[in-house]
Amino acid sequence: MDHIDTPHAVVMQGITKRFPGVTALENVTIEVERGKLHAICGENGAGKSTLMKILSGIYPPDEGLLLVNGVEVRFTGTRHAEQAGVAIIHQELALVEDLSVAANVFLGREKRTSLGLLDEQAMTAECGRLLVSLECHVSPRARTGNLRVGDQQLIEIAKALSLNASIVVMDEPTSALTENESVRLERTISRLLAHGTTILYISHKMDEVFRLADRITVLRDGRHIKTVNRIETTPGEVTGWMVGREIASRQFDTPRVRGPKLLEINNLRVPWPEHPRGYRLSEISLDLHAGEILGVAGLMGAGRTELLETIFGAIEPTWTGTILLQGKPVRFRHPREACAAHVAMVTEDRKRLGLFPDLDVAGNVSLCSLTEALRGGFLSRAREESLVAAPLRDTGVKTPGPHASITALSGGNQQKCIIGRWLLTKPSLLLLDDPTRGIDVGAKAELYSLIDRLCRDGLGVILTSSELPELLALADRIIVLSEGRLIAEFSRAQATEQKIMEAATGS
Amino acid sequence: MPHPEASPKISSLLRSSEWALVLAILLAVIATAVADANHSYWFEPFESIRDIARNTALLGIFALGATVVIIAGGIDLSAGSMIALSGTTCATTMLALAPLQMMGMKPVGPLVVTIACIASLLVGFLVGTLHTWLITSIRLPPFIATLATLVGLRSFARALCESSTAALTPTKSALINVSDPLFKTVRENVSIPVAVFGVLALITWLILTRTVLGRHIHALGGNEQAARLAGIRTDNVQWFAYCFGAMTAALAGLFYVANESVAAPVNQGRGHELNAIAAAVVGGCSLAGGVGTVPGTVLGAIFLRVVIDAVSKIIKTGADVYEGLIVGIVVVIAVTFAQIGEMAQGGRRLLPGGLGLCAIPTLAILCGAIATMTAGARAGMIATGVAVAFLSFVRLWESRRTA
Repeated sequence: MDHIDTPHAVVMQGITKRFPGVTALENVTIEVERGKLHAICGENGAGKSTLMKILSGIYPPDEGLLLVNGVEVRFTGTRHAEQAGVAIIHQELALVEDLSVAANVFLGREKRTSLGLLDEQAMTAECGRLLVSLECHVSPRARTGNLRVGDQQLIEIAKALSLNASIVVMDEPTSALTENESVRLERTISRLLAHGTTILYISHKMDEVFRLADRITVLRDGRHIKTVNRIETTPGEVTGWMVGREIASRQFDTPRVRGPKLLEINNLRVPWPEHPRGYRLSEISLDLHAGEILGVAGLMGAGRTELLETIFGAIEPTWTGTILLQGKPVRFRHPREACAAHVAMVTEDRKRLGLFPDLDVAGNVSLCSLTEALRGGFLSRAREESLVAAPLRDTGVKTPGPHASITALSGGNQQKCIIGRWLLTKPSLLLLDDPTRGIDVGAKAELYSLIDRLCRDGLGVILTSSELPELLALADRIIVLSEGRLIAEFSRAQATEQKIMEAATGS
Repeated sequence: MPHPEASPKISSLLRSSEWALVLAILLAVIATAVADANHSYWFEPFESIRDIARNTALLGIFALGATVVIIAGGIDLSAGSMIALSGTTCATTMLALAPLQMMGMKPVGPLVVTIACIASLLVGFLVGTLHTWLITSIRLPPFIATLATLVGLRSFARALCESSTAALTPTKSALINVSDPLFKTVRENVSIPVAVFGVLALITWLILTRTVLGRHIHALGGNEQAARLAGIRTDNVQWFAYCFGAMTAALAGLFYVANESVAAPVNQGRGHELNAIAAAVVGGCSLAGGVGTVPGTVLGAIFLRVVIDAVSKIIKTGADVYEGLIVGIVVVIAVTFAQIGEMAQGGRRLLPGGLGLCAIPTLAILCGAIATMTAGARAGMIATGVAVAFLSFVRLWESRRTA
């Protein structure tokens, strides 16, 4: 497979792909140099993933040429692409959870003994070798579903390596990784590059892209905007190309008015019997005032979500300690009780924990306040519409109408609908668990303004985020969790990314 | 891919897929009217309508229950056994309260009948509660929980029948005759089950589209975890759904007893849970939950009964023999039609690869066998030939298109 006569590992020329009702890609041309890391940037829906799916044989292009190592190819499926040396690591991992690590690595290409039976020994041995080379300390015999996301991702990479792939596509690989795991992944990436592997890297995290990439291509609305060398550009410039405008990094510096004390938590401990640590959260004490945003920083697994879920009554109330809401001790056993006490929570995983795909926009927004849409004991469509009009307007949801399908909206608009749902319950305490995850840059800025405005209207907000700049921009105070403990607290003036990260990683 | 008809539209009475069902029903009726050698739709229209109406009402009553359970994201496999248990409970209660009249085939009086019917519905409530407890507290998958009661309840009904007849009558028996005139009235007046079905359909429709509970049922079926986190008491919503499912089956069980003048737990309602699920699915319910309508299920039930009736009219011999076959075919065709747009868009092939090659003779043999059994050897040969030719053409066309 050596065609050294061309410097380009991949050439995609004039690629066009249409789906019913939408042109996903229009006349996109990209040339990727061999042995380099080429980042593909763009907002959600810009066509990045579609382009990579064409490269890895999942979709055929409607128009255009695809050249791999100088040879024109027409892939009929991923297997075909893999044979040509192209492997893709999907954003949503495609592993069979109930099979062992080795079985997943060799899925569909199982090694066999001379009798035609599975050669478990050879597969386990080779898988082990691959895992060691990736610094992945799990057994090839482990059940894949029991592993952490970061390790699962490395298994996908091991799979690509076992294919001897010369071109590896990574679709937002760090979106679910902790900082440590991201660092390990970056080491793996540099090793792959050193071996001459070409990497196409999809991401909208600018820091990552600027640390790793040699060249950067920006897509917007299915069109190719620019391809530049990393050293010739700046993150601000690239973000500007992505959204089609320069984003001034928004600051919300005008001081907020701090209201009365809303929430006080003393010595909270959430046990976790099946875990060696014994607790999910321990010795947590904090307070929150109305009109204040409390940021919660921490790596994945630090207990951010658990903290919010405990307050909201979303997990079994086995905790000890006290939670005082407006001075009164509370112990919610079901989210219903939290709603009644004007506590609202926007959950972390929008698709899995927030959206109702079979209900329309109005149904998704009105769900927690349906009693207000009743007329004579029955739901009235007209009342429901007028009920949801205000939150849809206040949160700035762009929708064709209240009866549009929620799944047709963009991630940012879906998130605004869910925030709108909770605003209808007239909360005094709003818990936001990583509300901007998987949302594109433009929509993030709008959500920041929304959260800031809600806070100024007198809500108390607890905000978790895996993106530190977000917390730094929004929060009045930031607490840092690590391994279930509250490690540090910073005021807005004190907090820097450096300090928070040091506290979170315990360094 | 968002479901094109994902949002419950209250404004328009029927969705396009439901209009398609109306059309299919009309076509089936016309086909029967023409193809039936006795032309019973012409000569005995009222007889025919009464027959279909009775059967549809009996199926529809517990198909509505199945619909609610399916929209809530569950499944209830036990409806057929619940029918048997309900009938047996009713008959046993009457036997216990008025043994002499029951044995002497005399009227037992409206009070006893009322108590017996209430007892049956109460048993439905208890079974629904049991299901919900198994599913929400023990955390059994609905399929397993109701599979257990599918086999368990029928056995329980038989045991109840035998032990109660052993205790209250001179001989142990596997069935209890029910001859009270009230039941006879129900049997002779088709309008009663039809009216009950109509009212129940209206109530179910109101619950599902116009109440908070109904919205919560849709939400629960669409995304259970999100529903809980939105503050919905999902356990209670499930409790309603499974009780509604079991109680509609209990209600249907009473009509079965009236219809057959006997409570016979060995066979009454056997396998009927699948007809109810089929009616709901043909009517547009998704077994993934969250999607489905009452008009859809009503039309689905009518369609199933009309097609079964059509086959019995056209073939004449033993319609019950072919009932399962028809239900199976109708379900496959209805759900295929619902997906046909998606198939064409996604470029999916009907007969791909080696599987497609083997599917051609499989389907052709099936067609040929059915045609032979119903219309003779000659028809069988022709059907096989036509099927092979048609499917081969489809296969060739598909491989041309994708090449």
